[in-house]
Parts: sequence; structure tokens; C-alpha cells
Amino acid sequence: MGIRFNQVSYDYSSFAQGLYTAIKDINLEITEKNEFIALVGHTGSGKSTLAKHMNALIFPTSGSLEIFGNIITSKRSKKIKYNSIRKKVGLVFQFPEYQLFEETVEKDIMFGPMNFKITRDEAKILAKEALNLVGLDDTYLTRNPYNLSGGEKKRVSIAGILAMDPDILVLDEPTSGLDPAGKRVLMNLFKDINEKTGKTIVIITHDMDLVYQYFNRVLVMNDSKLIYDGLPEQLFKEKDLYINHLDYPNTIKVLTYLNQKLNLNLNVYQKTNADALLEIKRAAKL
Amino acid sequence: MSYIEVKELSYSYNNKTNVLEDISINIEKGEWIAILGHNGSGKSTLAKALVGLLEPATGEIFIDGTLLNEDSAFEVRKKIGIVFQNPDNQFVGVTVRDDIAFGMENLCVPREEMLEKIKFFAKKVNMLDSLDKEPANLSGGQKQRVAIAGILAMQSDIIIFDEATSMLDPFSREELVKYIKTLHKDGLTIIMITHEINEALLADRILVMNKGKVYAFEETEVIMKKKEVFTDNHLELPVALDLANSLEENESHKEIRDKLWEYALIK
Repeated sequence: MGIRFNQVSYDYSSFAQGLYTAIKDINLEITEKNEFIALVGHTGSGKSTLAKHMNALIFPTSGSLEIFGNIITSKRSKKIKYNSIRKKVGLVFQFPEYQLFEETVEKDIMFGPMNFKITRDEAKILAKEALNLVGLDDTYLTRNPYNLSGGEKKRVSIAGILAMDPDILVLDEPTSGLDPAGKRVLMNLFKDINEKTGKTIVIITHDMDLVYQYFNRVLVMNDSKLIYDGLPEQLFKEKDLYINHLDYPNTIKVLTYLNQKLNLNLNVYQKTNADALLEIKRAAKL
Repeated sequence: MSYIEVKELSYSYNNKTNVLEDISINIEKGEWIAILGHNGSGKSTLAKALVGLLEPATGEIFIDGTLLNEDSAFEVRKKIGIVFQNPDNQFVGVTVRDDIAFGMENLCVPREEMLEKIKFFAKKVNMLDSLDKEPANLSGGQKQRVAIAGILAMQSDIIIFDEATSMLDPFSREELVKYIKTLHKDGLTIIMITHEINEALLADRILVMNKGKVYAFEETEVIMKKKEVFTDNHLELPVALDLANSLEENESHKEIRDKLWEYALIK
């Protein structure tokens, strides 16, 4: 078992609001291999708080977590090497490109692994491998991160986490701010890493088209609670996403409109435009 | 003369390659313009040039007949406001009230008038109940609405949205878009930079940027009919129009194609 949440709740206390429960009674299991999971929910639903628990960046207020055999509770334990948990579960924040700080891409990627008692030469090899894994060639190693495009910066920062070779990778809205082509390239890259290395990848996103097309497991947070854990298609069938401040994939919305206007009796659950086209042709018997 | 006129505008960050190259566009008062283009195509640089945050290397910008330069920038900036992508990067006040007041303070608006205006424009963006709230207690969508109130309070009538919805969840995004629609109805000129094709569909005209140049600038319906605009610029057609294009041109498909177009162009 990679990560297991047992009745986990987390309260923030702030001067202005008093106590605020960010996540409540979460039960959840994430295996350490081969999973590709989307985490969705409205702003303030608790997604990021949930993600921060996954590498023990914050501790539960009540309940407990098991992360690669380590039991995490509200109290810090001297027996647990938190550093090693962070090596096993890599967390990439939103807009990670703002966190690049070294003068070369290579140094920036090496920064993470260098914290784990390895030599410079070993770190260099890891940096090169991670860079290739995110689809950039060796010429980038000597470049200054500030002169890269937004998409390239994003990849370099993700390589920085990959260089630590985590078993589980958690990314907070990695595709936001990218153009449609850049979005697809990055999503294909994550899928590719997932398939090639078997690393479990958890991605926070608002994009339901991506959820439908790329994932076979989706977690939905709403008002601090985990209200769904299962197949995307089942989610679209079972839940009213508008009530949960979410949206439906575009294919479903368009086909539903055609059904309403033309009585076509289409099966609206089509992942891609190509599937939707076949369904329209089938229903129109043409 | 058009409300906004850009003439042969070029700009480069380091005197090397042009980020903007020979841009000439006219925008009429009350129009809603969407700007599409790949990352690095120059969209945001153009927006910054329009509000006078960047000085063009060559070329001229006229806002409501006034040439934008160092001397006129202060006056011209009153007319034109910009809402950025990250709600947290533009909230300068300690409370909603302070934040709306910020622009007016710079214009030395008298206190009594300012207090009235804060209430008036907070109400307009549906934030009257939150005047004493701090940014930490606001959602991204709410922060963006406060930014709009601040712009309106300066009596700007041109608002640029630079990917202002991209960090919001679908619900807040929808809310903000609805709100932009009402601003448009009120006669404001809207310039919306976006990657979200469904948002661009709401505009009267679409400007497509490619490598610092104007690739196309035409009515939304016209742009949507040109497949090459999308393939050449790595843009994705809206799902409904992609389906409409894929259905053959025979009579029996016509009804479906018409409905798909209807869906895509609902405003």
C-alpha cells in the first residue's frame, strides 16, 4: 500500500475565520504502482490540503495516514524519517515554474536529489535522466531557466521532482496557464511516465475534458468531503456536477444539446470528438 | 477614428527578436474582442502595451484619440484597466474596501465621493456584503470581481482580461464570464485574452496572434469557419464545430450541423 487515509480531518485555524475544517473524515487508498488519478473539486473544497497530506507536508488534526508503512498522526514522531517520505511521494505545486532559482537547468534539477546524500556526479546523471523523461534534450542542461518558455519551465520544475525518483507523483494543476497544444503535450507526457515507469500519478485539475479522456479513476472533493471515488463516466452519470460546482466534458454537453433539440436519442457518454462523431452518424442512420 | 487604434506597433524585450511585430489593429467602442494564440505569441505583451506598461520600440497607440506616450499615460490609463491571471497578484488592499479605493486614491478622488463610489461599484460586482473581508477569505472569482470594481470606480470603460479566468474553478469561471457579459451590455469595451475557446466564442471579433504578428482579426463567426486558422495556430476548434465540420455536406446532416453551430454560438 502506498498511501492510506483513515478518517483524516484537518482544521486550519486563522485569526479572521476561527477554526476552518479543510478536509473531513477522509478515507482513501492509493496504491504505489500504476495508478493514474484525477483529483477535482471547486475552489476551497480541500483538494490541495488533501494533496499536502500525501507527503506529510502537513499532519492530520484527527485520524491517521499510512504512507509507505509510516503511520502519520497529529503528532510528529521521532521514529519517522519524514525526509524519506518526501522522497517517495513527490509534490509539485501550482505554477512550479515560479520556484526555479538556479542559474542553469542542470543545477536546478540537481537541487532536490542533492538533499538525499548522493554525490554530485550521481545527481548529474539523475538530472539528465529526469530532463529526458519530461521530453527535453541534453542541450537544455546548460541553459538559464529564466530564458525558457512557460511550458519548458514547467517541465524543468517537474523534472526537479522526478529526479528524486518518487514512487508517487502528486501535481497541483500542472496544465493551468498552458495553451491547448501545451496542455495535451504535458498530459501525454504524464501518461507516458505513468506507463513507462509504473509510477502512480495524482493530478489536480478543473478540466473535465482531460478527466474524461485520460483518467480511469477520479476523486471528487466537495465542501471538505470526498464525495466520489471511481470511474469518470460513472461520475458523470450519477452526480449532478453543477450542484457540486463542477462542469461536464464538452462532448457530453454538446450531445445532450442535440438530444434535446432533435430527439436523436444519442448515447451522450463519448470521450473523444471521434467517438461523438461515430455516435451521431449511428443515431442519424447515415 | 476608432476607439483604440494600434499602428505598426513593434516591441522587443532585449532588442533581439521582436515579441510584437508590425501590429496594426482598430477596435471600436463597446466591442468585445477575444485574443487567441499559443504561449509566447505576444498576447500579454500587446495587453501591456495597450495600458502603457511597455513603451513600443516603434509604432503608435491611440486610445480615444489620444496618442499614448509618457506625457499622456496617466490620463489614458484612467480609461483602461487590466485584470491579470492570478487573483493574488493584484489584490493590494487589506480589505475589499481598501482594494476598490486604491485606484481612486491615486486619482485624488475626494473622500465622500470615494466612499459612495466604493459602495456603488461593490454592489455592481455583487460584493457589497464583503467590504470588510480580507483577501484570504475570498475565493479567486471574488478577488477578480473586486479587481473589476476597482477599475470601474476609476471610470475606465475599456477592460482587458489577461487570462483572468484561467485559475478559477468552472463555477467561478462561469460566474465571471456572466459578469463580463453584463459589462459588455453596459457598453464597456472588452478585450479578453484566453486559451479557452468557448470563452472566445462570446466575442464579437477574434484576434489570432502568432509569433508576435496578427494572424487574423475577423468576426467570430468568420474565424470559426476557417479551419486553417486553428490548424496553423495549434488551436482547438470548439467540440461542436469540430463535429459540424466532420459531418459531410449532405442534406440529411444539415439539421444536425445547424444545431451544432447554434450551440457553439449561443451568447
